[in-house]
Amino acid sequence: MDPTRHFDRANRADLAHLAVCLAVAASGAGCGFEPGHAPMRFALNESTVQALADAPEVADHVRGSLEFLFGTPQHPGYTVLADWAENEYDPNHPDLPADGGGSGELSASRLEEIRADNLRAFAPDLAAIAAGRFAEVRKPRTAPGLERSYRSLVARRAAGEISDDVLKTEARKLFEGWYPSLRDSAEMYRQQCLHCHGVDGGGDGPTAAFLDPRPRDYRKGIFKFTALKDLAHPRREDLYRVLDQGLNGTAMPSFRRFSIAEREGLVDYVRLLAVRGEVEHKLVATYEDEEHLSAEVPAATLLEVWEKWQQAREKVVAFEGEIPIPTPAMLARGRELFNDAKKGNCASCHGERGLGNGVAAYKIDENTGRQVPAYQDDWGHDIMPRNLVQGQFRGGRRPIDVYRRIYSGVNGAKMPGVGESKDAEGNLVLPPEDMWALVHYVRSLSERDERVAGAPVHTGGSH
Amino acid sequence: MRLLTTLLLLALLVLGVWTFMDAHNHGWWLPPVVSTFGPDIDRLFYLILWMVAFFFVLTEGILVWCVFAYAKKRDSKATFTHGHHKLEIMWTAIPAALLLIITFTQMGTWAQVKFKTSDSFPKGEPMAEVYASQFDWRIVYPGDDRKFGTMDDIESPFEFVAPVNEPVLFHLRSRDVIHSFFVPYMRLKQDAMPGMTIPVWFNATQEGSYDLICAELCGWGHYKMAGRVRVVSRAAFEEWLGEAKKEMLSNGTEDKP
Repeated sequence: MDPTRHFDRANRADLAHLAVCLAVAASGAGCGFEPGHAPMRFALNESTVQALADAPEVADHVRGSLEFLFGTPQHPGYTVLADWAENEYDPNHPDLPADGGGSGELSASRLEEIRADNLRAFAPDLAAIAAGRFAEVRKPRTAPGLERSYRSLVARRAAGEISDDVLKTEARKLFEGWYPSLRDSAEMYRQQCLHCHGVDGGGDGPTAAFLDPRPRDYRKGIFKFTALKDLAHPRREDLYRVLDQGLNGTAMPSFRRFSIAEREGLVDYVRLLAVRGEVEHKLVATYEDEEHLSAEVPAATLLEVWEKWQQAREKVVAFEGEIPIPTPAMLARGRELFNDAKKGNCASCHGERGLGNGVAAYKIDENTGRQVPAYQDDWGHDIMPRNLVQGQFRGGRRPIDVYRRIYSGVNGAKMPGVGESKDAEGNLVLPPEDMWALVHYVRSLSERDERVAGAPVHTGGSH
Repeated sequence: MRLLTTLLLLALLVLGVWTFMDAHNHGWWLPPVVSTFGPDIDRLFYLILWMVAFFFVLTEGILVWCVFAYAKKRDSKATFTHGHHKLEIMWTAIPAALLLIITFTQMGTWAQVKFKTSDSFPKGEPMAEVYASQFDWRIVYPGDDRKFGTMDDIESPFEFVAPVNEPVLFHLRSRDVIHSFFVPYMRLKQDAMPGMTIPVWFNATQEGSYDLICAELCGWGHYKMAGRVRVVSRAAFEEWLGEAKKEMLSNGTEDKP
């Protein structure tokens, strides 16, 4: 290039062009430009699509009914069915009483906890408001409804309709009493959960392929770690526990950095996805049974599924009295029961050492002759028994948590529940003392002791 | 053209300095310090910052002056120069000396924070084990037997509760890949290496909740791998631990409807 050339005409034109491009990019990139989202729709489950492949009008009927009953990912919500409307019951509002426009699921004490936690979570905003710096309130991205309400209060003050003091008290009440709508929670789900759990809650989001274990597919309504028996649906407290504590040993982290209200809201939305998935399955099953799908079936199915979820609360597994202390005798007894095929029968799957490599866990593949997992879970994935020596109890590591796993099994997996099993004479196979001996032994398997050959020494795992 | 370039470069210089001077008013500066070694680290930061600021102004200023004074018209002849030997020695030796000054000044702080033999490093058993995993922080406290890795350990997901005004020692471990335990308010950062158990300490001077974030890229969830260090009075800490121990022994009846 000729070094004596400076900015002659051609170069000046290039520069001008570049400047215009940069200006456009800058104006789009950060000066109040809010990219909206393309409208999202829930999709039908692959199994539904397959089952209804030769009945497209039924597929449309199912899709339409589901959208009518549950909305879309950006505007989710249960349609208030006639039965509910009669009693002023509305499942969209767990924070309102059951006969006062809500479902009454959140007790008064829980609502108190939420209010106190809101004050803590919104403390910087409340401080700004109390000091009169009304514009300094952060845009609460996960609560667009709250932001709208606050902005309208500020607008009313600007228009002279309300005084500064009224704005302060009303704003404080707003923040303190905030509970996310399903729409707010859907937005939060989109930001925090969707990339693993998928738009429909199918555990098929973009990052799911990289994970083992895979994220939960909610659409069967099966959740592994509940405090309940009889394969019951989870209580909202069970779902909340997962959000609060995460699942040890999986990619599901604790979401304690969000407020209680935000987490409860996510529970509401996850449940909506699960209920929607279940209703979809049942509609397909009804069609397959009866060869047609009448108009009143979808709403009736929703009522049925909703009731099942509500009744689950009755089936809590608990132990009356104090938990026995793990004495050496108890641990020895637990070891016996662990290995006894007629009692706990744990070693057949979990292995004598508890490493999750018991004989029953494998089968020989007919074609290759290799050992492969013998079982699949309810979502169709290969499943192996838990390695108890690693000590990563996903459902919680308290004694009562392990007790519940042994008592009721693990929904969707192959762990059976033996808490209520009876022998030929009608006696419990594992009466309470034996249950606790087993629980303590199982928990002791992951204790750290360098003297035990093969015990993990400063490796991964909580022990 | 010469004037335009001069003014642009001058604007760069002025804006560069002004950004730093005004950052504090927008909350874009260091957060308050809440640990005992934090102020030492901040002192080192400011030492380096002032040195760098001095040289920034100096070099940018010389550049601006050169553009202004020595930009010639198209047809003038350039001057040929060999360079200036003494000047080049000076501008190598002085920065080298400054680097040595920084090296020796920071050694003490580094040793104080990282060396187990330093006076400030707490002796004795750790208060907690912190496990970094993809993408979660889990903190384990020993139970009444005061031993880690036994059945009565208390696990606290996400939240590290610690007493105020006391040296707190913990063991940092990773369950999978390299993470980093970073508490900006305490100026505390330590990489968590898989396979290693790394002793880390802090002494918090103020009660409060402080962000704990992962500072080493660990996967797609690194950006949201966060936790919280909650510093409370010793009494509140004991109370929290007592509650956690009771919670461990729950028999599940509080879950009944």
